[in-house]
Amino acid sequence: MNNFKSQAWQGNLLVCVGLLLALISCEGKKPASSSAASSANHTVQDDLGRDVTLPVHPQRIIGLAPSMTEMLFAVADTATIVGRTQNDDYPDAALSKPVVNNYPMDYEGLLALKPEVVFAPEGIISTEVATQIQKLGIPVYFQKYDSVADILRGIRDLGKLLQREAQANALADSLRQRLDAFASEAQEMQKPKVLGIIWRDPIYVHGYNTIFSDKLRYAGGQNAVQEVFAQQSPALTREYILQLNPDVIIGGTFEEFDQNFFTLYPELKRINAYKNKRIYDVTDDLISRPSPRVVQSIAELKNVLR
Amino acid sequence: MKKTVAVLLMLLLLLGAGFFLGLSVGSMETSYRTIAQALFAYEVSDITHFSIIHLRLPRLLLAFLTGASLAFAGYLMQALVNNALADPYLLGTASGASLGASLSYFFFAEVTVLGLHLPPLFAFLGSLAVTLVVVLLGSKRGHLIPSQMLLVGIALSSLLVALVSLIMFLSESESQLKSVVFWSMGGFEKADWSNLGYPATALSLSLLIFFFLQKHLNVLLLGAERAETLGVDVRFIRWVMLLTVSVVTGFAVAFSGPVGFVGLMVPHMVRAVLGTANRFNLLATALAGGLFLVFCDLLSRLIYPPAGLPVGIVTSFFGVPFFVYLLRRKNYRFN
Repeated sequence: MNNFKSQAWQGNLLVCVGLLLALISCEGKKPASSSAASSANHTVQDDLGRDVTLPVHPQRIIGLAPSMTEMLFAVADTATIVGRTQNDDYPDAALSKPVVNNYPMDYEGLLALKPEVVFAPEGIISTEVATQIQKLGIPVYFQKYDSVADILRGIRDLGKLLQREAQANALADSLRQRLDAFASEAQEMQKPKVLGIIWRDPIYVHGYNTIFSDKLRYAGGQNAVQEVFAQQSPALTREYILQLNPDVIIGGTFEEFDQNFFTLYPELKRINAYKNKRIYDVTDDLISRPSPRVVQSIAELKNVLR
Repeated sequence: MKKTVAVLLMLLLLLGAGFFLGLSVGSMETSYRTIAQALFAYEVSDITHFSIIHLRLPRLLLAFLTGASLAFAGYLMQALVNNALADPYLLGTASGASLGASLSYFFFAEVTVLGLHLPPLFAFLGSLAVTLVVVLLGSKRGHLIPSQMLLVGIALSSLLVALVSLIMFLSESESQLKSVVFWSMGGFEKADWSNLGYPATALSLSLLIFFFLQKHLNVLLLGAERAETLGVDVRFIRWVMLLTVSVVTGFAVAFSGPVGFVGLMVPHMVRAVLGTANRFNLLATALAGGLFLVFCDLLSRLIYPPAGLPVGIVTSFFGVPFFVYLLRRKNYRFN
């Protein structure tokens, strides 16, 4: 008797779940063109695996990080971009958009801009802040990039979400062509070991599993750090760097490093990069922002590695 | 007496072992023979020799000096304010140093000026300045009033911590934040032969002075009034203690950051083992403090290579359980 009851209950549950699934999939498959009304929503999964429900035709969007604003300006109809954060300074057109602070997050300021969806790269905006924004009724879509290819995929994804696929794919295709050209030229290069120094006290650097390593590959070099650490930008000891003996250091001019880094760590003057004065400054924004300007970043790196 | 000698010998022995292990742990594989060669037949061009002598050895020495200084200063501080909860940072040393270091990290892009590394310099000045203020507010007509000093120290520390938080909050770059956070948890990575001299001199001089004043310290633990009747110049000895604590702690914190817990725990451990009035207590405290940090640093590098966990995390993680055990096991009384 008991057994029977529980089976019946399970059956009911299955039906319920089935119905729910059907409902959800209906929602998801709703043809985008059927309703021109901007109120139509669909649920998609973002790069963090979160379910995000956003308008099929978003008319008011915002990126909450400099790189994301660059991505949006490259893909979206710029009239739909309703704002930028205090640090977003590229392209110039972004500067004319209203500013909302992302650190600390200015929730009221964000609400005032009435975005229908917020785009954010993983890491800059915490999921905690995202939850808070979603409580205000604004969906947050995260993108995550571990490689140069991820940036191109991110561009195509944005194209789909913003109904600008033609634009996005054309951009991604042209970037892909440039990358392929870089890759074939890189084969002929010496592949010097490059240490990308982010901060000098404590010394932490661009780790192995990063876009930085990937860019170096296209630029004809290799990351001096070949070990994978728990952190993307690991802190290193002087001994570790002595052992790596990088051929090139990226992160500042030779003069800056000579006055600062190498006065602080005179022991490191033994490395090749110092002896051969191969220490270069590159544009911070290009290094740190995963955006369509990634090819410019690679070109800049290639220039100093040659 | 026999016990004292045994304990001191054991500390030295363990310290020897700690140094030996410390010299062999690093990014480069090092055999015992390489260590011996580096020590006795140093080859300038050999990068492993160079690492052992110029990176690992000063790091070990700095860890030792920091631990010894903090434990020693903690012992003095506990006697000075006659309170078991006292640690070397009671006078605002740590928060003053933090403020100094944060200021240098946030407002000076250049971390070295004329070959001087700014953060330790600022940290040292900060710690001394704050100590001075605490002493001024905590004394009346040249007499130190420990209880008042204690309260002023705590109040001022909170204020300074708030200032440091404000600076951190206003910071634009994540990297600057990291600098301050790393600094505030303590570490020995920046150890260098050129900066070991200061803490070493300060510590050895103070140890020497207090080797002769040890008896007075013990009497002071009975309370100021009784000490006075027993012929101790309480006012003078308090000033000497204060000066010593601030200089010794200042150097330790300047070069290694405010490593927590050593200064509170090690003096208690030593008293629990050797008794409250042993004349070798200060020496044993310094040795044990140094030993403790040498092993904590070693552990931190083994757990999280290559740079190691900030040592302040390790000290609490492994020190606290042992400390609690010791306090529970013995019928330990502070005074």
